[in-house]
Amino acid sequence: MADNELRLVAETRSQFGKGAARRIRRDHKIPAVLYGHGSEPVHLTLPGHETMLALKQVNALLTIELDGKDQLALAKDVQRDPIKPIIEHVDLVVVRRGEKVTVDVPVHVEGEAAPETVVTVENASLQVEAEATHIPESFTVSVEGLEAGSQILAKQVELPSGTTLVADEELLVVNVTAQVTQEALDAELEEAEAEAGIEHDESEAEAAEGESDAEGEGESTEDAASDES
Amino acid sequence: MLIPRRVKHRKQHHPKRGGAAKGGTTVAFGDYGLQALEPAYVTNRQIESARIAMTRYMKRGGKVWINIYPDRPLTKKPAETRMGSGKGSPEWWVANVKPGRMMFELSGVSEDVAREAMRLAMHKLPMKCRFVAREGGDF
Repeated sequence: MADNELRLVAETRSQFGKGAARRIRRDHKIPAVLYGHGSEPVHLTLPGHETMLALKQVNALLTIELDGKDQLALAKDVQRDPIKPIIEHVDLVVVRRGEKVTVDVPVHVEGEAAPETVVTVENASLQVEAEATHIPESFTVSVEGLEAGSQILAKQVELPSGTTLVADEELLVVNVTAQVTQEALDAELEEAEAEAGIEHDESEAEAAEGESDAEGEGESTEDAASDES
Repeated sequence: MLIPRRVKHRKQHHPKRGGAAKGGTTVAFGDYGLQALEPAYVTNRQIESARIAMTRYMKRGGKVWINIYPDRPLTKKPAETRMGSGKGSPEWWVANVKPGRMMFELSGVSEDVAREAMRLAMHKLPMKCRFVAREGGDF
């Protein structure tokens, strides 16, 4: 459970648009917006490093200190740069103590399935309803000794008390399938290599020789063409 | 190899190379991903070659997801041909990959195996890439 509340000191902002947002990011801060419960959206500036650390925790319950008042909030959406480790913008939704919220909680798999099987997590998170102050950090699913063909559905995942499943009960969470046989894998790869024209080292060397011969021929034809002109 | 079954226009303009990926930038299906750091046209042969390299290394364990599709044709005029006389014939099928795109994903193997499989796959691709894990991938 995410009991430890994370406190962020925010400032209101009055300038909008990409120019203002870029100025904020240059100062190592993050533009954000706080909304919910029918209130007018409040545009904020959050401290960059503290916000980044707070958002490492999944479904972190944040305490936003704004103009001397505290406000509980959850991160609804986090916009990140696709390459650089930068948070570009955060959407915060207002929550109240004791209020039930709908969140996505990650699923962790533990244990070793039976030999000759492949464990695939089909849905890595489950949508659940929980109290805002008691959101589970993750759900653990054991695949210990499961045979090929076994499936774990959303309804089979053990939820802590006070948490109810919002996602479809029949949603497939973990699928255990049989490993492909060595013969089938080799045949598939050889066929794929043949189709793609991928050759192994020895044949590659031969092909390189063939190419160099062809280039030599090409040069000779060019020479012939220039002689004719 | 991946080839579109049917296209509206057989010969197209070159795809735009500017900008970063708008979506598909996170590990969505597997546990580990291979993320592009530069723009590139990735041919269907390169995609297949990378997939084969990963599958060969992982042997029978694990599952591979390919998140890019070579849906754009590139044309080439024959060698020693004068300019003009129309556009060349379709030569390659490419995926227009922008920086940040998660091109391949893996699951069902340990991180060491996934890292090595992705390293082998990187050598088959025409751009700089990086290995990303689901946990800790969201910096």
